[in-house]
Amino acid sequence: MVTSIIRRFIQALFVIVAMTVIVFLAVNVIGNPVDILINPDANQAERARVIAEYGLDQPLWRQYIDFLAGLLRGDFGNSFVYGRSALQVILERFPATLELALSALVIALVVGLPLGLYAGLRPRSVASRIIMSGSILGFSLPTFWVGLMFILLFSVQLGWLPSNGRGETVEILGMRWSFLTEDGLRHLFLPALNLALFKTSLVLRLTRAGVQEVLPQDYIKFARAKGLSERRIISVHVLKNLMIPVVTIVGLEFGSLIAFSVVTESIFAWPGMGKLIIDSINLLDRPVIVAYLMMMVLIFVGLNFIVDLCYTLLDPRVRLDAKR
Amino acid sequence: MGISTMGWIGRGAAALAIYAVAAGTASAQDKELTVGMASTFATVDPHEESNSPHNAMSRHIFDSLIYRGGAAENEPQLATSWEIIDNTHWRFHLREGVKFHDGTDFDAEDVIASVLRARDKPSQAFASYTRNITDVTAEDPHTVVVETSVPDPMILNSLSRIRIISSEHADDDVAAFDNGTAAVGTGPFKFVSYTPGDRIVMERNDDYFGGASEWSKVTLRMLPDNGARLASLLSGDADLIETLPAEGVARVKSSDNLKVIRGQSTRIVYLGVDVARDQTPFITAKDGSKLDKNPLKDERVRKALLMSINRPAIVQRVMQDNGTVAHQFVAEGYFGHSDDVDEVSYDPEGAKKLLEEAGYPDGFRLTLHGPQGRYVNDSDVLQAVGQMFARIGIDTKVEVMPWSMYADKYSNGEYSVFLGSWGVNTGEVSNPAIAIVAGRDEAKGTGRYNGGGINDPEINKLLDEATSTLDEDKREPILQKVSELTFNHHYLLPLHYENVVLGASKDVDYKPRGDKYLLAYEVKSAK
Repeated sequence: MVTSIIRRFIQALFVIVAMTVIVFLAVNVIGNPVDILINPDANQAERARVIAEYGLDQPLWRQYIDFLAGLLRGDFGNSFVYGRSALQVILERFPATLELALSALVIALVVGLPLGLYAGLRPRSVASRIIMSGSILGFSLPTFWVGLMFILLFSVQLGWLPSNGRGETVEILGMRWSFLTEDGLRHLFLPALNLALFKTSLVLRLTRAGVQEVLPQDYIKFARAKGLSERRIISVHVLKNLMIPVVTIVGLEFGSLIAFSVVTESIFAWPGMGKLIIDSINLLDRPVIVAYLMMMVLIFVGLNFIVDLCYTLLDPRVRLDAKR
Repeated sequence: MGISTMGWIGRGAAALAIYAVAAGTASAQDKELTVGMASTFATVDPHEESNSPHNAMSRHIFDSLIYRGGAAENEPQLATSWEIIDNTHWRFHLREGVKFHDGTDFDAEDVIASVLRARDKPSQAFASYTRNITDVTAEDPHTVVVETSVPDPMILNSLSRIRIISSEHADDDVAAFDNGTAAVGTGPFKFVSYTPGDRIVMERNDDYFGGASEWSKVTLRMLPDNGARLASLLSGDADLIETLPAEGVARVKSSDNLKVIRGQSTRIVYLGVDVARDQTPFITAKDGSKLDKNPLKDERVRKALLMSINRPAIVQRVMQDNGTVAHQFVAEGYFGHSDDVDEVSYDPEGAKKLLEEAGYPDGFRLTLHGPQGRYVNDSDVLQAVGQMFARIGIDTKVEVMPWSMYADKYSNGEYSVFLGSWGVNTGEVSNPAIAIVAGRDEAKGTGRYNGGGINDPEINKLLDEATSTLDEDKREPILQKVSELTFNHHYLLPLHYENVVLGASKDVDYKPRGDKYLLAYEVKSAK
C-alpha cells in the first residue's frame, strides 16, 4: 500500500511539472499583458519600466526558471493587476467558491439520493416517472438560463431573495465564510441551487441505475430470505453498494464544481475564483492564471487520491495495491 | 467538532441579532446608497492603478488638490488657489483646517508624499501625469511649489487625478490599503470594508470640508455582468447602476420606481484608416487581386467612406440612443472644439460619386477590424458600418476579436480600416490628438495609438506648440486648428460619443459626468 502511494505521488509530481510547462508556455503566447495593463497615455520609457518591473524583458526560458524557483518557495509571483501575491489573491476568493461548491454538493446529495433511491425501488410508479422526467430538465436546461430565471422569479418578481452578491461573512481560520449568517445564507441559496441542478440530476440517475443493478443480485435475495427488514436491506446492502459509483462521480464532479462554477458566479456576481480567473484571462494577468491552473491541478490530483481512499472504506475488495 | 460548530452558529446568531437591532434603530437620516459599477477596480491603493473605475472609487475616500468637474473643469479642492510662478513652477495654496479620517491634520507634507508616491510607484500607472514633475517642495505648511521639467499646460489636470493620502502611509503597500489600515483620506467617505472583486463599503465623513454627504453608508458593488447588474436594480438591491444594458432600457422605463438617466461622455468612437502605406493589407480589388495603390491615401475615398455611414441610424438603432453622433475629438463646450470642422452628413449617392472621381467606380474589397466587448455594442456597430460600406459598392468583411488580442495589433497599425476609441479624460484635444493622430515618435511618446500611421507635419508642429504653451488663451486656437486639420482631411472617421446611461431608482438624482465617473457624493435624493 505504501509503495503504491509513493508511486502515485511520483506520477502526480510528473503531472504537475508537465502542467507548469504547458501552462507557462500557453499564457506566454496569448497577447501582451503590458498593452492591456498600462495606462494608454504612457510613453516608451514608462512602458519599458513597467515591462522590466514585471520581468517581461527577460527571455522566456529565464522567466520559466524564475517561475519554477518561485514555485519551490510557494511563490507564484505578484499579480499584475492586484499588485499583491497572486496566490493570496486567489486564496481570498477560495472560501466563496468552496462554500458555493459544497452547498451545491450537499443539495445534490440530499435531493438526488433519496429521489434516486425511490425511483429505483418503485420504477413503475407515477412519482418515479415524474422524477425521471424532471431530471432530464435538470440535465438539459442551460445553467445560465435557469440562473436568470431564478433571479427574475425569486428576486425581481417575488422579492424574496437578494438578486446577487455574497452576504455578510464571519471570519473562521482567517477566511471569510458567509454560510453562518442568515444574510449569507439568503445570498447563498439561489446560486447554490443553480449550481446544484445538474449534479442533482446526475446523482439521481446514478442512484437509480445503481439500485436497479443491485436489487436483483443474489445477496439481496439472500438477505430477504433471511428475513431482514426492508429498511435494513436498503440502508445497508443496497445503499452501500451503490455508493461506489456515486462517490467516484461526486468526487470528480466536485473538482469540476470548483473549477467551472464560473457561469453561476458571473450571473450571481459571486466573488469567487471562477470570476477571478475569467477576469484575469481578459486582463492577461499571467501570475494569477498560472497560479489558478496550478491550484486546479493540485485539487484534481488530490481529489482523485481521496476518491481512491474512499473506495477502500466502502468496498474491502478494492485496495490501492489490489494487483496481488 | 459538533460543539465547535454549534459555537460558531451561536456566534453567527448573535451577530445577526446585533445586526437586526442596528437595522431596527436606523433613523430616517441614515440613508444608504448602493451603486452597481459596470467595471471592476483591483485595489483601494489610489496610486497603484489609474483606470477610470479605480479613479472614480478612490475619489470617495480621497481628495486631490484640484477638483475635476463633470465637464472637465478645474476647481479648488484641497488647493484653494494656485498661480504660475514661471514656465516650470506652480504654486498651490492649500486648504487649512482639513483633517484626515484618523484625525490628523492635512498639510504640505501629505501633498509631497502623495505626488512623489504616485510618480515613483513601480506600476507606473500615473506616469503620464507625473512624468514632467521633477519636484514638489513646501514653502510653508500650507503652500507647495510644483516644479516641472518642461512647461506643462496639463499640470492641473494631472494633479486632479492624484489622490492625497496621509504622509504616514506613504510607504505602505497595496495590502495595507486593501485591508483599510492605510486607506485614510480626507474625502467625503471613510473606508469600512473591501472585498476584492465584489464591493467596497464606506461610511459618511461627518467632518468633510465640503459638507457631509446625505448618505450615511455607501456601497460600491462591482457588477460587470450586464444581467446581474440589471437584476440588482430591478430587485431594489442597488439604487443606481452604471451602463444600463440596452436590453434593460424598456424594462426600466416601464417601471414605476425606476428611471433612465442619460448624459454625454467624452469617449469618442472612430474608424481609423491606414493613410501611411502604399499597399494596405486588407484592401483588394473585388476579384481579390492586388490594387496598385492604397485607396485610403486619397482624401476623397476617406470622405466617401464617412459619407456612406448613416451615423444617426447607428446611434439610434444599434446604440439604442446610448450614443451621440460625433464630428470631432470633443463636443461643443470642451477645450479645442472647433466650429470650422466639416460636419459630413449621410449621403450614399455623393459617396459613390466621390469614389468614381477617385478612380474606384466599382468600389473594392475591404476587411474591417475591431474588438468585441470593449466598447458599447462595438461588434454590432462594425456590422452596421460594413453593410453601409457595401451599399456604395465596397464589399466588406467584418472581423472582430477579443480586446486582449486586438489591442496590440491595432495600435501597431496592422489593419487597413479599424475601430478605435479614446476616452478624452482630460476634456481637451491635446490628449487624444497626441495619442492617435500625432506622428509616431517613441522618444517623445507621441502617436502610440496612431494605428493609421498619420504623420502630418503641420499637426505635429501644432501639437509640439500646444504641449509647451501654458497660456490657455493661446493654446485653444492651436488645438482648434488640430481638430480642423484632423477631421477636414478625414484622417479619422468619427462615429459617435458614447453616452453615459444610468439606471436609477426614482428616489435618487444624478447628473452624469463626461468622464463617466459615478460619485456617491454627487448623488442626491430626489425630492
